[in-house]
Amino acid sequence: MDGNLEISLDKLPVKRLDAIEENGAERYPPDSSYDEKGVSLIRRIDFAWAVEDDEERERKKKQKKSSKDASAAWQWQSMVENLQLAHQELSVIIDLINTVEANDAVTVAGMTRPKPLPNEVLSDLAVSAATKLQCYRQLGKYFKQSAKAFKEQIAWEARFYGALIRLQQNWKVKRQRVAASASSNEGFTIDLFDNSLYDLAAMCRPSSLSTIRVEHDSAGMLAINLTPNSCRSLHFGFLGVHSADIPKNTSKIRTHGSVEQRIRESEKESISDDDYVKETHTLLREVHQSIFNDQVFEMLNREAFNQSVGVNVTGIRENYLQLSIGQGNTLFISLMPSNKGDNQDSADTQNLESAIVPSHSFDTENKWVFPNRTSCEIYLQQIFHENAFVKEKDKPNLSGTQASGQSGKVEPSLLGHRIFSSIVLTELENVVCRVPYLHLMTHPTWHSRTSSWTVFMKVPQSILHAESQSPKSDFQNMKEAIKSQFRTKVVLNDDRINVEGEGAPNVVGLFKSSENICSVNKYECDLADLPVIILLQVASQVIYWLHEEALTVGIKTNRDFLCLTFELEQGETVSLVAHVNPGDIKGGISWWLVMEDGFAEDWKLQMDMHDGASDYRKFLGHLTLDVLYSTSMDLVSMCGGGRNH
Amino acid sequence: MNKGTGVGIGPTAAAAAAAAQKQKTMMHRVDTDIASIVDNFTQLVNVARVNDPPVRNSQETFMMEMRAARMVQAADSLLKLVSELKQTAIFSGFASLNDHVEHRTNEFNQQAEKTDRMLARIGDEAAASLKEFESHYYSSAQRTAETE
Repeated sequence: MDGNLEISLDKLPVKRLDAIEENGAERYPPDSSYDEKGVSLIRRIDFAWAVEDDEERERKKKQKKSSKDASAAWQWQSMVENLQLAHQELSVIIDLINTVEANDAVTVAGMTRPKPLPNEVLSDLAVSAATKLQCYRQLGKYFKQSAKAFKEQIAWEARFYGALIRLQQNWKVKRQRVAASASSNEGFTIDLFDNSLYDLAAMCRPSSLSTIRVEHDSAGMLAINLTPNSCRSLHFGFLGVHSADIPKNTSKIRTHGSVEQRIRESEKESISDDDYVKETHTLLREVHQSIFNDQVFEMLNREAFNQSVGVNVTGIRENYLQLSIGQGNTLFISLMPSNKGDNQDSADTQNLESAIVPSHSFDTENKWVFPNRTSCEIYLQQIFHENAFVKEKDKPNLSGTQASGQSGKVEPSLLGHRIFSSIVLTELENVVCRVPYLHLMTHPTWHSRTSSWTVFMKVPQSILHAESQSPKSDFQNMKEAIKSQFRTKVVLNDDRINVEGEGAPNVVGLFKSSENICSVNKYECDLADLPVIILLQVASQVIYWLHEEALTVGIKTNRDFLCLTFELEQGETVSLVAHVNPGDIKGGISWWLVMEDGFAEDWKLQMDMHDGASDYRKFLGHLTLDVLYSTSMDLVSMCGGGRNH
Repeated sequence: MNKGTGVGIGPTAAAAAAAAQKQKTMMHRVDTDIASIVDNFTQLVNVARVNDPPVRNSQETFMMEMRAARMVQAADSLLKLVSELKQTAIFSGFASLNDHVEHRTNEFNQQAEKTDRMLARIGDEAAASLKEFESHYYSSAQRTAETE
């Protein structure tokens, strides 16, 4: 319609007086019927405006055609106007029809569609074809989108299931049939708990890490998410020991549960699926190790509270156990998060050391007495593994030397032995260091509770060469060659020290007619007596050797435990006496020369026994074997008779 | 499918019957889905003719959308079937899994033996080296000077 709105005003439907007659009667216009009203309304419809609009439109078209090239008109403007006009006409006609039907004044007999023109038919056909084409295009887009989504899903599933199949090669994958699967969880879990080989009576409670859910990440790849600090490692240490060796444990400490973080940091897309699966394998392995460490710790907790030999629980906290074993040695075993081990281990250890005073002072020397922490941790794990796995598998073949079924008791015995072994070695080294002609040799037994050493006393080569030049029989040469070394064997079984040495006289030797037999002594001793025993043994071996040397040159001497007596002419005796003193810094064995005759007995009783300047007793000092040999040869030369050349 | 050939020594008769039934069900699902896809696509092609009444074209438009959705649904069903088969392969491939586990077990046993031999050799070498070092030390001039 035009912009101007024409308004027609109707008279109010009020009865207006038409006329008044002389007699006063009022005349009103007659009431029109309903039909008349409708007809009057229809007649009022003015279609002139439509006709005028058509004329104007035609006029404008002509104007537009002339100015079409000049102006940039919208190509669909005419169509829009046509549609608008058609819409208006249809609206009018529909309103008219509705009004007519409502008033029942006129009824529509029928409507016939006008016969379409050829161009209209073609245009309708074109519209339909275009519509159908558009529909097919939309379908095509829909199919393409679906295909793309399916491809992505196939690729996603190929990655996911490929990785899962590879994981299944090494791990136990389980499927949980969940009704409503979330977008990130297909219901797969990885079970890391091995319940097939454990002793059910002493079975550890399953760790919270035993079941790990397999999830998807944003790229569709499987992902394993762990809570931070969920993996824990076993830490072993001795209280009172300086914590300088703590960084040695860094090899055990790894970042865990942060595989995804590592991948994000290193650009996830650049990591291939193989590397990702390897990372996942590593992560699962860390979790598996953490579970194993938890079980080892639990085993220790169980065994520590049993009445084991030499084990006392002196402290317990969450994931921390403190034991006292052996002779006042205190150790601790704790479970610590793997990623915090680097930072907190030293702090915790120092705190513990400051909180608990060790039973005896520890200096730098004693630090090396304690076995290596890492080796102890490994051994704890080995004990548990053998008892939990190997024991179940190979019960008939179980070696009695290794895990004898009492895992808890083996561990403190081993630790006690290791510590005690270090102490014994220290004592032996102290003894050997002070005596120049002693050599110490360690014999690795490859047994966890047995240690063995040998203290050699070697005759100097100069003496052997000198003897070899003297005209002696071959048999005698061979005999002396054998006796150029004297051995004292020290064997430590758990905490029992056994000393086995040759050369010292014993009861067996007393009954043997031949003095050439080098008897072997075996006896046990404790740590305090060990240096003395060793020195005594060595001194007796030296005496024996000198005795043999004297016999070689044909002089018969009397051999006592630590004394070698030469009989001089005129009944006098000269003795070389060994004095053993483990506390002597200059040397453990010192020598005295004691001269005795019949008249000196009374003098000896009156003299101060410790007076080295006595005429009948002379302190020779800490002599080497060369000096002893030459001294004994000098004494031999002083002996008269019975000398065989 | 491997399920048919997987019936061997191990599974019981009930498990074999269940596997056969499952196989049959899966085949039926496959046939159904494929038939649905083909049928719907055929109908899509058949309604390509443009009809005179526009209302029929509209009707066919709706029908085409419906058939396209059915095709996609059938394809999705096939993909889910493939997923199920993959899961079945994961959790039922015991033969290959056992072989792999045995192979890995043998590998680890060999590695353990090799490690034990290596440890023994290292121990022997360490013992020999220790013996040599001790011998040298106690025979050395330094030790002699210390004792002096």
